[in-house]
Amino acid sequence: MNVLRSEWTKLRSVRSTWLTALSAVVSGAALGILGVSEVLGGTPSDLPTPWDPTATSLKGFLFAQLLVGMLGALSITPEYDTAMIGTSLSAVPSRARLLRAKALVVTAVGLATGAATTLLSFTVVQVALRGAGLPAAGPGDPGVAGALVGGTLYLTLVTLAGMAVGVLTRSTTTSLAVLVGALLLVPALGPGLPGALGDWFAGYWPVTAGQAAYTVVPVDGALTPSTGLAVLVLAVDAVVVAAYAALRVRDV
Amino acid sequence: MPITDPAPRPTAGVGIRARGLTKRYGSTTAVDDLTFTARPGVITGFLGPNGAGKSTAIRMLLGLARPTSGTITIGDRRMAELEDPARTIGALLDARAVHPHRTAYAHLLAFAQAAGLGRRRVEEVLELVGLDHAATRRVGEFSLGMHQRLGIGTALLGDPGVLVLDEPLNGLDPEGIRWMRTLMRDLAGEGRTILFSSHLMSEMELTADDLVVIGQGRLIAQASLRDFVRDNTSRDVLVRAASTVELARALERAGLTVAARTGADAETGAPAGAGAALLVTGADPSAVGHVAAAEGIALDELTAVRESLEDVFLRLTHDATDYGSHAA
Repeated sequence: MNVLRSEWTKLRSVRSTWLTALSAVVSGAALGILGVSEVLGGTPSDLPTPWDPTATSLKGFLFAQLLVGMLGALSITPEYDTAMIGTSLSAVPSRARLLRAKALVVTAVGLATGAATTLLSFTVVQVALRGAGLPAAGPGDPGVAGALVGGTLYLTLVTLAGMAVGVLTRSTTTSLAVLVGALLLVPALGPGLPGALGDWFAGYWPVTAGQAAYTVVPVDGALTPSTGLAVLVLAVDAVVVAAYAALRVRDV
Repeated sequence: MPITDPAPRPTAGVGIRARGLTKRYGSTTAVDDLTFTARPGVITGFLGPNGAGKSTAIRMLLGLARPTSGTITIGDRRMAELEDPARTIGALLDARAVHPHRTAYAHLLAFAQAAGLGRRRVEEVLELVGLDHAATRRVGEFSLGMHQRLGIGTALLGDPGVLVLDEPLNGLDPEGIRWMRTLMRDLAGEGRTILFSSHLMSEMELTADDLVVIGQGRLIAQASLRDFVRDNTSRDVLVRAASTVELARALERAGLTVAARTGADAETGAPAGAGAALLVTGADPSAVGHVAAAEGIALDELTAVRESLEDVFLRLTHDATDYGSHAA
């Protein structure tokens, strides 16, 4: 409990935490609107098929996920960048206690940011679609509430993964590079690889798999929402365990 | 030193003990079979040239680096075995190692909370280190002196019985150095164990009670400052008289060693018309004076020549340093 309070103080007392969280929420919604701007002027027959207004409204995750990932990374990398980690581990020598507290605080902030990003993106895009006379989704429609929870959990998991990447890389800039690679480049380029490898990246690359969590209308060849989320959970677990192992074994 | 918790410190009377401490990085040996102790109630100076392995040893004490072999313990417990680390040991590693955008208050609060302490202790410590007026300022705006004060405040949060300070006087102005010295002296006076490192002998002369001197990771000497001075500084006497030949003979008869004869010269600042000078090694001025008096020789000058501690340190660590003439 003490270490939890300490980690919360560390996270809340730097402006970058709030700026990053706010940027995630705003950019998620703004990019969501930008994503549908093209169809807003058209008729329902111009819409792509199948039409999934829920998943479409969360297209802004493409950028927001990078910000929440950095939010997680920034919970630890400045400690390495400034060498404050030495003081932190002198005050709390147990790596398990320190990392558990950090992970809990980061998860809580990730959950709040993820929920805000998901709900705001969903709301503004559905309002815009409805205003344009296009088919929109309501929170009471079948599968929509589940997709919104899925979207929130997706961003929360990315935040936690960002923390683990921060521990592993011990550097803000390297964390950014790793997150851009894992969240943007691999999902974009991986499916283009030849044969089974490409298929694997298209379906099972954990980030891509996790994005199934916020679909309402099934996409051909993609995992179901719950399977996709499970793949992401397993992958994030693995990265967190690797981070803990590194923290334990490594000289600071 | 205000103490929030009137209960006795669990670690009062506990020292630091290194036994065969060794750390290798690949083929480089940073710390080599180091054995020493730091006692409670005194200030132990951990002295060595830059790169001698002081920081590596301290990092092993704090559990931040794993010894290749050997141990370094607080009492007989390793850092990871401490039940209440913040109340047992406080450390100042690198005063600049703080998040520049955090306020001093938030920085201290985070570490206070980790130790189960509250805002009151933060306010006490801010006052103790003289940062109460700067509590809400971002640490990035701090001067080096203020960073050092914040660092020592962080180390003191849990009111620990053992304090480890890595180069705490580095970059401080004279006022800051005096403040830090007085604080260390007060803390040691309360029965705490203070281990502080420096690469400057001159800092040790005025601050340390005990010395642990290392070079290239190896122990060169562990002794009280007084014994270290006595055992390692040569005691020579410069004596000047009109008839140095007669005096030299008399001194040698008395069993003293005359090392050198110099002419009267401007360099030594000898008064005009004074005689030549003799350098008598390993002797007290009084012994030389007594010999001269017994022989009825009038002396023009009788001066004790002491090697400075800085010189001693340089001589001792010279062989053990990586950097040759840049030793200090």
